[in-house]
Amino acid sequence: MVSLQLLTNPKTSPLYCHTFSPKTLKNKPRTLTVNSLLQYNRKPQLAGEAPRVVVITSGKGGVGKTTTAANISLSLARLGFSVVAIDADVGLRNLDLLLGLENRVNYTVFEILNGDCRLDQALVRDKRWSNFELLCISKPRSKLPIGFGAKALVWLVDALKGREEGTPDFVLIDCPAGIDAGFITAISPANEAVLVTTPDITSLRDADRVTGLLECDGIRDIKMIVNRVRTDMIKGEDMMSVLDVQEMLGLPLLGVIPEDTEVIRSTNRGHPLVLNRPPALAGLAFEQAAWRLVEQDSMKAVMMEEEPKKRGFFSLFGG
Amino acid sequence: MTTTASIWTLHFHSSSFPIPILSSEVRFRRYLEFACNCKNCTSRSTLRKFIVRAVSSDDDKRLRDEVIVNNSSKDNAAKTQQNPVAMFQESISSLPLLVFKTGKYSGVSFTVGLCIVATLLIIVVKGYAARKSRHNRPGSVADLVRRGQLRSDRRGISTPLKYEDPFNNPMVKVSKSNSSVEMCGKVYRLAPVTLTEEEQSVHQKRRSRAYQWKRPTMFLKEGESVPPDVDPDTVRWIPANHPFATTSSDIDEDLAQNNVYQKHGVPFRIQAEHEALQRKLEALQNEQKLNKLVIDPAAARDFERPLKSHLKSGDQVEQSTSNPKSSPNPPKSDRAHNSCEQTNL
Repeated sequence: MVSLQLLTNPKTSPLYCHTFSPKTLKNKPRTLTVNSLLQYNRKPQLAGEAPRVVVITSGKGGVGKTTTAANISLSLARLGFSVVAIDADVGLRNLDLLLGLENRVNYTVFEILNGDCRLDQALVRDKRWSNFELLCISKPRSKLPIGFGAKALVWLVDALKGREEGTPDFVLIDCPAGIDAGFITAISPANEAVLVTTPDITSLRDADRVTGLLECDGIRDIKMIVNRVRTDMIKGEDMMSVLDVQEMLGLPLLGVIPEDTEVIRSTNRGHPLVLNRPPALAGLAFEQAAWRLVEQDSMKAVMMEEEPKKRGFFSLFGG
Repeated sequence: MTTTASIWTLHFHSSSFPIPILSSEVRFRRYLEFACNCKNCTSRSTLRKFIVRAVSSDDDKRLRDEVIVNNSSKDNAAKTQQNPVAMFQESISSLPLLVFKTGKYSGVSFTVGLCIVATLLIIVVKGYAARKSRHNRPGSVADLVRRGQLRSDRRGISTPLKYEDPFNNPMVKVSKSNSSVEMCGKVYRLAPVTLTEEEQSVHQKRRSRAYQWKRPTMFLKEGESVPPDVDPDTVRWIPANHPFATTSSDIDEDLAQNNVYQKHGVPFRIQAEHEALQRKLEALQNEQKLNKLVIDPAAARDFERPLKSHLKSGDQVEQSTSNPKSSPNPPKSDRAHNSCEQTNL
């Protein structure tokens, strides 16, 4: 977060490596990758071709995939992009709970395949942000043939491209835990992946395995979000640092999300963290990760907590 | 006050009115009646009566200064002293009276002062609240400052932005000498990311060697044989007790694909129900006149949505179409009774 602040102030940052002005951005073609800076007073420019189909996966359960999917998708909607979030967990559905839309899910992909409803009838439009829609794969206790789900998801993404409202800018797929049929279903239509991990060895091992599977399936654009970071534990060397995680996985950093109790409260309320006023630290980090996702950028520096400087007597006089 | 006045008057008179002090005796007689109890000063409330008489031995001039101060003493002790030391002691002992008198009047002034301070405080608080509400008024220039469109220091709005602008937050202090940042009471150092392109490719090669995986395209149950032209790495074996899986496809793939791409028209189930309802209405209209159309409970049950599958609803449609023919029409009195019930509802 602070690295971005430094990057906006070229005089102070030794890490500042790229300067640009909004005017030069307008002349650049849309499909080129943009190395840009986070700036508060401009909208991020979409890099790559629409729709950008991104799968959010981790391998290990409980690291924050669904929270990341909910917050990043709403951040993208707030930035003005049309977003369709797909909960690809066949048996266990959670994304609607985090978004507070659980009472509005009437039809799922299961009903679409059976012909009981159309695709636009199964999409749940968020009343807070009209450019955000949710699609759930199935209701609990419903059966979907293994292997068929992957095709169905590919057809769905293809149908979303050709709908009357226009192609969505982003299709975010919340992948279930594991590397089973649900994982295979979720990654089928994806072009990019966001790997969510925590700085502990079990999560890292699973993340490495998932990264290998994604690369085998042809997904090369994989970025990493390190979740539940405790800078105090990193300072005390009780937790791996973000740079250690990056060294182990070898993936570019999309975001670093600090541990925040507001995550649980927002889950209970069905109100995503990024909508908090005043914003929580984790919410700010999610917003910045969404910004980088739009512009296909990655973090250039991370924050490491240090001991505060001991002030001498003369510091009282402004020294 | 009277006591004070009395004392000072006494002095005043002695100084302002030159009393010719003759060599002859001057008798200065003063009658003092006052309670002199140094231990019970607070209970004392006295007014003194001084009778001062200066008597000159010269018979030609007689000056008589009388300063009369009424003395009403509550205490019983009374002293008459002519000794200067005793007079001094008396003057000292009279001081608590002065304190008591000033205390009486200081209570009033204290109350007045308190009211003035309270009024000033209320005015200051109201002014502050008004100034704050002026800045928080929706659509005011303060909103432009908050959004970062206007600089706050130009307008003299000194409240620092705490949360609205995370990228230009004055609460975050960036050190110019080293890459450290002070934020939320903690100091952070910026560590640059050191991952290079070469290191990324090394990791990718490592993973490609470690994880050999092909996407499964064939899902088989236990006991089924692998087709000869299928890559064995793409075959997935499904356990028989898998809770949410079935290998036999109950869904026609082509039909499912058509359903996914369906943009217009009513979905199949809703269309089928609508057509069944239309048939029922037409059948009823053929038998009854439109102006005497009454919904009797027996027919209303036929309009209920079938809860189970479409096939069963089709059976019910057939039964309802056959029932009106077999059952006789209800008598006119019953029809009227039913219509009254319906209007009441």
